[in-house]
Amino acid sequence: MAISLTESLQIGISDILMRKVRSLVTVLGIVLGVMCIMVVLAIISGMNESTMEWMTQRGGLNKIEIQQNWNYDFRQGGTATLSLSELNILRGQIPEAKAINPSVSLYSAALQYRGFTYSGEVIGALPDMQIVEDWRPTRGRFFGEIDLRENSNVIVLGSSVARDLFKGQDPIGRKIQVNDHIMEVIGIMDTKFWENPGGGAWGGNHLEYMNRQAFIPLSTMMNKLSAGSEISSIQITAASPEEALSLQQKVNMLLLRIKNGRAVFRVDSAQQMMMQMEQNSQIFSMIFIMIGMISLTVGGIVIMNIMLASIKERTREIGVRLAVGARRVDIFVQFLVQTILITVLGGIFGIILGFSILDLVSGYLEMKLLAEPKMIVISLLISAGVGLVFGIVPAVKASKLDPVVALRED
Amino acid sequence: MEIIRTNGLIKDYLLGKVKVRALAGIDIGVDKGEFVAIMGPSGSGKSTLMHIIGCLDSPSMGEYYLDGDLVSKLPKRALSGIRNRKIGFVFQSFNLLPHLNILKNVELPLMYSGLGAAARKSQAMKILDSVGLSDRLKHRPNELSGGQRQRVAIARAIVNSPSILLADEPTGNLDSQAGGDILEIFSDLHKAGNTVIMVTHDSQVADRADRIIKIQDGMIADGNLSD
Repeated sequence: MAISLTESLQIGISDILMRKVRSLVTVLGIVLGVMCIMVVLAIISGMNESTMEWMTQRGGLNKIEIQQNWNYDFRQGGTATLSLSELNILRGQIPEAKAINPSVSLYSAALQYRGFTYSGEVIGALPDMQIVEDWRPTRGRFFGEIDLRENSNVIVLGSSVARDLFKGQDPIGRKIQVNDHIMEVIGIMDTKFWENPGGGAWGGNHLEYMNRQAFIPLSTMMNKLSAGSEISSIQITAASPEEALSLQQKVNMLLLRIKNGRAVFRVDSAQQMMMQMEQNSQIFSMIFIMIGMISLTVGGIVIMNIMLASIKERTREIGVRLAVGARRVDIFVQFLVQTILITVLGGIFGIILGFSILDLVSGYLEMKLLAEPKMIVISLLISAGVGLVFGIVPAVKASKLDPVVALRED
Repeated sequence: MEIIRTNGLIKDYLLGKVKVRALAGIDIGVDKGEFVAIMGPSGSGKSTLMHIIGCLDSPSMGEYYLDGDLVSKLPKRALSGIRNRKIGFVFQSFNLLPHLNILKNVELPLMYSGLGAAARKSQAMKILDSVGLSDRLKHRPNELSGGQRQRVAIARAIVNSPSILLADEPTGNLDSQAGGDILEIFSDLHKAGNTVIMVTHDSQVADRADRIIKIQDGMIADGNLSD
């Protein structure tokens, strides 16, 4: 002898419809709380996606980078460079790496073609760079092993270099002068592009610096253009993001051993940076979720109060229901379901409101906001949870009423 | 055959810190199919007796048998089922739920007994038809006259075919015309074999009953079955 949930839902809905304005006011706190949580969730997933896109553009989560450790005090000795023999020791120890690209940079090289000079960065690299950066020429070719063996005077240009230096002419096969050396252009790299999706102050192509680079074989760099220089930066690709973390530690250890315990290099992995960023965004989002939770708690307390007042008002109704055979649990469920209905209704309003202001917030914060279906589920669960928590006290109170006393109430 | 039997019913209340004895040892018996009026001045304990007979309250001491079951020993949570199946209440102030239409009001006891929506509706419509309100099904209580409201309340009380019909001053809020109509319905229900117990202080109303039980100071003053 129990009344079904559908029955309770029907009673709840008709009660809410009977007191439309009151129900609407009751639920305002929940609406704002859910809206706040919606926006925060959208910011978080937007940030995560932006970071992920950036990482993918920069060679993915398998990438490990070795560069000078700026925190190391070089007065204690040591240099943040590797000789070829040191590089070969390192290379021999990490056969699990998918690709290794050591490089030597010449930061302000002069690239000249028919009297026009382009000042930019020229990098000596290995063919593995294409794997490490996930970046390939769109025209011509990249240099190969034979170019390395023969210290060939070949150069691959970034798309901006090619555009600015050749002004519309086809650069492939033409000779340019790099510092004092004549080089043949054999390829043009694909244009790298990544823009902060929010635009605004952080707009523009964040990878344009790569389009301004030019690449020559590492051996040509170390033997001709920058004779006597050593390797200052190495990029490694691991087989997977998980392996990148262990490989990162291994490389760090090997470098310390090679450099006699001096921490002249720092080894970063994209996976670790990604985890770091996610952790940072978690702190940020925790703060906002806390604010949302406080708003929901306040909203819940308001609802609890109004429900308690409404039970006082409906004491006689409860008495009548008890007199015709309602059990205490029926009364309890009736009021609990009604509270949950109200908060879920508020949740739905909050979700609609949250979605409708996402564009506004996105424009204001100049950030990408990403709305996901799971956010709707989370918001609904949260608002139902608020109703459940704050509906219990009024429902218990209603179900404990003495029928004789309740029927006497005016 | 007795449908109600009480032995030494005592009911004490706490008014603040003072113990008040509302019932001081009531022994009554009511036969199945009987029409009994309970009379007494206010404060005599007749409402308390009514609440205990209606299973809205339990006695402090004594025994109460309803339909052969010792309900005075049942825990409070078991009483809701008894109220639902065995007792039909009619109150002075009708006690209809204002936001439900009269069909839904009459369906209420059937809902709590777990009947499905379709069966509920057809049974409630049948009963409302028998009290002459089949053209008012979708009306709210405040759209009806007092007499009509009380007829809805009677319909709600009998919709579950209870063992006893308990009426507490059912004509108290009605003019004499409407009150007479309502008493006529009770008479008809009694003739159809229903047990009716009516609390009243109006002797004209009480005269319609087979028997009048008079209560004074929590005790029976007159009118019990001589057994």
